[in-house]
Amino acid sequence: MTTPVIAATGLTKMYGDLVAVNGVSLSVGKGALFGLLGPNGSGKSTMIKMLTGQIRPTAGTATVLGLDVRQDPIGVRERVGIIPEQETPPSFLTATEYLQFVGAIRKIPDIDERAAWWFDFLDFKDKKDVLCKDLSRGTRQKLMFAQAFIHKPELALIDEPLINFDPIMQRVVKDYLTEYVKAGNTIFLSTHILEVAEEICSGFAILHKGNILHAGTVADLVAGNRHLDDFFLDLVQRSRNA
Amino acid sequence: MLELFVAMVKEEWRVHSTMFGSISFALFPILIFWIAFMGSFLLPLMRHSLPAGELSLVLHANYLMLGFMVGAFGLLGAEVMNRRFGQASLLTYSARSLPLSERFIFANFVVKDTLYYFVLWVLPLALGFLLASPFIGVPITLPLLLSLTLTLSFLSGLCAVFFLSSVYSRSKPALAAILVILAGAVGAIALLTGQDPARFFPPLMLFNAFSWPNFVLSGAAIAILFVVSIWLFTPETADATRHYPDVLTPLTKKLSFFPTPPLAAKDLIDMYRSGGIVGQTLFSFVIPLVVIWFFLSLLTGYLPSYGVLLEFAIVTGIIASTMYTWLTMFDTFGAYACLPISVRTLIKSKIASFSVLQLIPAVFVGFAALLSGQALYLLPAVVLCLSVSFYSLGITVWLTGLSPSVLVYNVRVMITYLILIGIVLTVLSAVAFAAPFAALGAVILFVPAAFFARLGFAKWEAHEQPGF
Repeated sequence: MTTPVIAATGLTKMYGDLVAVNGVSLSVGKGALFGLLGPNGSGKSTMIKMLTGQIRPTAGTATVLGLDVRQDPIGVRERVGIIPEQETPPSFLTATEYLQFVGAIRKIPDIDERAAWWFDFLDFKDKKDVLCKDLSRGTRQKLMFAQAFIHKPELALIDEPLINFDPIMQRVVKDYLTEYVKAGNTIFLSTHILEVAEEICSGFAILHKGNILHAGTVADLVAGNRHLDDFFLDLVQRSRNA
Repeated sequence: MLELFVAMVKEEWRVHSTMFGSISFALFPILIFWIAFMGSFLLPLMRHSLPAGELSLVLHANYLMLGFMVGAFGLLGAEVMNRRFGQASLLTYSARSLPLSERFIFANFVVKDTLYYFVLWVLPLALGFLLASPFIGVPITLPLLLSLTLTLSFLSGLCAVFFLSSVYSRSKPALAAILVILAGAVGAIALLTGQDPARFFPPLMLFNAFSWPNFVLSGAAIAILFVVSIWLFTPETADATRHYPDVLTPLTKKLSFFPTPPLAAKDLIDMYRSGGIVGQTLFSFVIPLVVIWFFLSLLTGYLPSYGVLLEFAIVTGIIASTMYTWLTMFDTFGAYACLPISVRTLIKSKIASFSVLQLIPAVFVGFAALLSGQALYLLPAVVLCLSVSFYSLGITVWLTGLSPSVLVYNVRVMITYLILIGIVLTVLSAVAFAAPFAALGAVILFVPAAFFARLGFAKWEAHEQPGF
């Protein structure tokens, strides 16, 4: 493996007495499409928030693209693309204005051309001058997807990116992600849709109650004649019974 | 009816207690009680310079204004809550999923707000006064009457905003016509009676001289406003097909002198498209201040001639500082968390937008000076207003960061704010009354304002941003 683009050691997040993430260590190499899998409430979104400097770890360290997430959260967010857990485009901007806003903050010179490409690619040109608050969940998700990739980051950390998409759009997005990593970029994807993970991810880790239960590659799993969903359910069930 | 009402009360409690903890929120009415109880012991001292009747004026004006503000928040609530809690689903907006009409839900909402804020604000104040009354020689009936008339004042403000906004949703020219008629009626009362029209505010008349006709008049005015509001009420219909021209890029270019032009442009667009620039200015600024002006003008006999204007400038400064909440109410930091923007940058940008909005109070106080025949004191009044506003802003930024409308209900925040503001306002009022042009010295408040704002930048940059 090449130098990791994400490296976490003993990463922990506590909310009062609740341990949301418990001493997680993991490493993601350049060019990987890495899936962080887990049931609802397992700590996946908290991991992404810590890795992007949105929240501070209680303990442990993490670097993203060589930057310490504690010391330089803005530097991290400048270089990565993020799709947050809940889609939150500003209510009173139109879809076009939101992408222009992102372009102005990220200092993207050809933002209009790039925005036009995304409206076309994700098939929501007809909504580009509608206020974000009036967009459907699916269209908001398209907009958040576009903002995460519009500056062509070398790493994207995306939280449940497919959850509001119809099957056609899911296919478009899965293909895009696959091509994106082929071009040498890296994706850190959080999801509980196991079919998606098995289809597109190269490496994965299973998180349950804040602990990593397993980390490995999909290729190894397939070579062992196992499916990700069976493996996942066995592991989580055993963890619950333990 | 009862089930929905109880559920709404529970919901309101949980919204507040989720934001800053049940205990902290529960302490809020206790704080009001304590202030009222302790403050009551000052009444015998204050009577020497200010008759109790004049003090009751200010109290009624405050509760009328509280009604205005609660009403205005209720109307903007859906969007604010969505920003604060993601895709919030409050009972008030559940007509599409429950077999209940919008009017029925709206009526419950008004009744719930009345009871809720009665318990939160009116009852603790009345109880504080009631328990102190045996020690200060006040008949026990007075606090009971005060709790009744303050409730009526609060309801008057609440229902007036609902009424005006219901009219606004039907026809903007009709609203303008009503406001003109109201202004004309107030002017006519002043001319015909030779008295300040605020004296004829029904709850105040009731407090000054209890009589059943006055009581019926107060209740009837509120009931009429409420019934007409329900009758005129038009639920907002989502217009998903409405299209808007792109204004962000041209506006960003025009605002290139701002520290972060796209953030400033977004603030202005938020204000304009949410209706805030007109609605907030009217309902949360102009109307409350006009009311306060009427009430303050009753103090003319007890203050120097320029005193009312300078006191009004101070009050306007305090209210003007709440414009910071206008700029933050549609945002949570979550909306920016996927972008390379620091909390410090965001707060600085809000302060820059706030500075532009300060034109409104400056012009407003300027007009008040001219219209009251105190043009000589226009400059001290404007300086006083803006200095107080920026000082209050600095404290607000330090104490509440990007969540002023939420954290104000945190008891620790509220006490600190009241102490820091109270000390300065007392000194300023005394100085301004003694020598009006000394009020120009209030400009020094920009120093602590900058100091507190800097403290706030560091504090909120280091804090994890709350999810509201």
